[in-house]
Amino acid sequence: MRLDDYIEELEPDEEAERRRLAKEKSYAITDHLEEFERNFEQSLSGDSLVGSTAPSIFVGRSNYPDIPVGLLSPVGDEDAAEEYVTDGNWYQQGYDIPDVLQRRTGLLNSNKRANVDSPSIASRLTPNVHDAWDGFVGVQREVAIAGRPVDLEIGLDDTPDLGLDAGTDVATPRGPRANARNAELRENPYVPKPVKKTLEDDDWQAQGAMTFLYRRGFDVYDINSILSAGALGEAKQRRLVPTRWSITAVDDTVGQYLRGRIRNEPSVDEVQVWANEYMGNRYWVVLAPGNWEFELVEMKAPGSIWNPNPGDDVWLQSASEGYEGRSSYVEETAGAYYAARLGVLEYLESIGRQAKCLVLREVSDDYWAPVGVWQVRESVRNAFDGTYGEAETFHDAVAEISTQLPVSHARLRRKSELAAGLQANLSSFTGQE
Amino acid sequence: MFKAIVSAETLTSALDSVSVLVDECKIHLEEDGLEIRAVDPANVGMVDLSLDASAFESYDADGGLIGVDLSRLEDIAGMAESGQLIQLELDEETRKLHIQIEGLEYTLALIDPDSIRQEPDIPDLDLPAEVILEGKDVNRSVKAADMVSDHIALGVDEGEEFFYVDAEGDTDDVHLELTQGDLIDLQVGPAHSLFSLDYLKDMNKAIPSDTEVTLHLGEEFPVKIYFGFAEGQGQVTYMLAPRIQSD
Repeated sequence: MRLDDYIEELEPDEEAERRRLAKEKSYAITDHLEEFERNFEQSLSGDSLVGSTAPSIFVGRSNYPDIPVGLLSPVGDEDAAEEYVTDGNWYQQGYDIPDVLQRRTGLLNSNKRANVDSPSIASRLTPNVHDAWDGFVGVQREVAIAGRPVDLEIGLDDTPDLGLDAGTDVATPRGPRANARNAELRENPYVPKPVKKTLEDDDWQAQGAMTFLYRRGFDVYDINSILSAGALGEAKQRRLVPTRWSITAVDDTVGQYLRGRIRNEPSVDEVQVWANEYMGNRYWVVLAPGNWEFELVEMKAPGSIWNPNPGDDVWLQSASEGYEGRSSYVEETAGAYYAARLGVLEYLESIGRQAKCLVLREVSDDYWAPVGVWQVRESVRNAFDGTYGEAETFHDAVAEISTQLPVSHARLRRKSELAAGLQANLSSFTGQE
Repeated sequence: MFKAIVSAETLTSALDSVSVLVDECKIHLEEDGLEIRAVDPANVGMVDLSLDASAFESYDADGGLIGVDLSRLEDIAGMAESGQLIQLELDEETRKLHIQIEGLEYTLALIDPDSIRQEPDIPDLDLPAEVILEGKDVNRSVKAADMVSDHIALGVDEGEEFFYVDAEGDTDDVHLELTQGDLIDLQVGPAHSLFSLDYLKDMNKAIPSDTEVTLHLGEEFPVKIYFGFAEGQGQVTYMLAPRIQSD
């Protein structure tokens, strides 16, 4: 399809309607918090939460290396525990911002501080997390590697703080928190075979083990939780990893693996534009012929979550890499960079091609609460469903998309490395391709 | 057969100008000197280096070929103090390079040249503009551009007859004009191309500030950068592919 027809067919009216509905629904959160409080009181027996189930974990990063380690449990909604796990299903089921916030705030984070290297007194003799299976951290690690939510009993030190934290773009907003005294398993958790393999092999470097799990069909969400609990990698390197860091580490590691897979593949043979819109974020993915090159440019509208003053200008951030990847830390766009890159690389690997790729992320003021970096990952992954627009050249495509963007083409060219110019290679000047 | 003695500075300069692009390279041990040609894995930057036999204190070779891990060899050369001599000798039997710096002996395992990326053919490009300037002006241009952007435009204004450097950043701009008087020489021709600063910064590191640098430029074409080192007995030519702005 020609790019201009493609853009026309994106049906902005329907999107606007969906956003309006989403906003109305946000009142449901207040009701939800009240319900949570009721459920919580019912579940509390003495100072323990009995019959609780934990589908996932959260490792904080405050006061590193003595960090809060938490079990997340959906109080009063144990039967639906699976649905509280952040993963691609949330996108498939069309969760909107209030849905996500309901899930988040419905998860009680029972946490306890632990040292990333020596999480319990017993293991201080062998200051290493890799064989810590006792105590609170041990239970938390069992939950992290389990293939299903685990039944347990948590002893609390105090009643939970129901305050709703705003969170950040990478980590998700958190729900109520309580200080835990202890936790005990009520069942023998089911651990998938490949996870057992990476767990038991303590000579295996973390990158290799992560890639192994990915190739065995584990999504980055599962791998993230395992890495976070220090349950893979070389024994002496294993430690608890704050959730926020491990999300980016897994996206980056799996991305590097996929980038290696397409390194010698032929390039796409036309300029393609794919679009997607989700939760007040619009994505444009431009693929163009040539060696791998990637850039994410984010445009954050005034009034959106990180650019709150409605009178301000659109806020631009970008980061890019060439054929051989980046050698320096991503200063702008942070975790979103690796999440978007993963989505693109998965698609390219699936078609056995490489490409030059520009991802434009437009954050509108409808994005009123950050839901986590999974939203970027899933939106880009799913941008490749359906049809795409074709353009003659990469720069034509960017110019045409610019008419739909909140910033001018000139400003985009100043900010974007790829929009300014695409890296050619020497063979295109010698005819020895 | 290969046996040579060379000053630490000369060897280091030669290795540095190649290692900005590749980790491993083939070294041709020709009768009249060393030759290295390499291209980076992305096929964006290329280096063609020769170091004449006269740059060495003593030099004896008969046309062999070795493969080396550049960072290893650089580390060893870095053990020499300024003014010290480095002695190199190839053991044909063991395929190892014996390196001696004063009393220090180091045996370096070589890499099978066949396992190293193929050497590039040097493209024969017809580049209409030629700019000859001092190394320090290249350094100044690259440094200023790097403050505002990740890329840099190099061009020649045919009407006004000057060489210019442009960098456009998010908010700030850098512009530098060097006229005939500021340059050593200028041959005017249609030229304007955009280049990645990542590459140019690395290449710039290898350019001595007191040397003459010759740039050959075209419109959206690679730049050819030529300079000498080791009192003119070493020559480096870089070629760098542009970032394409037009299509």
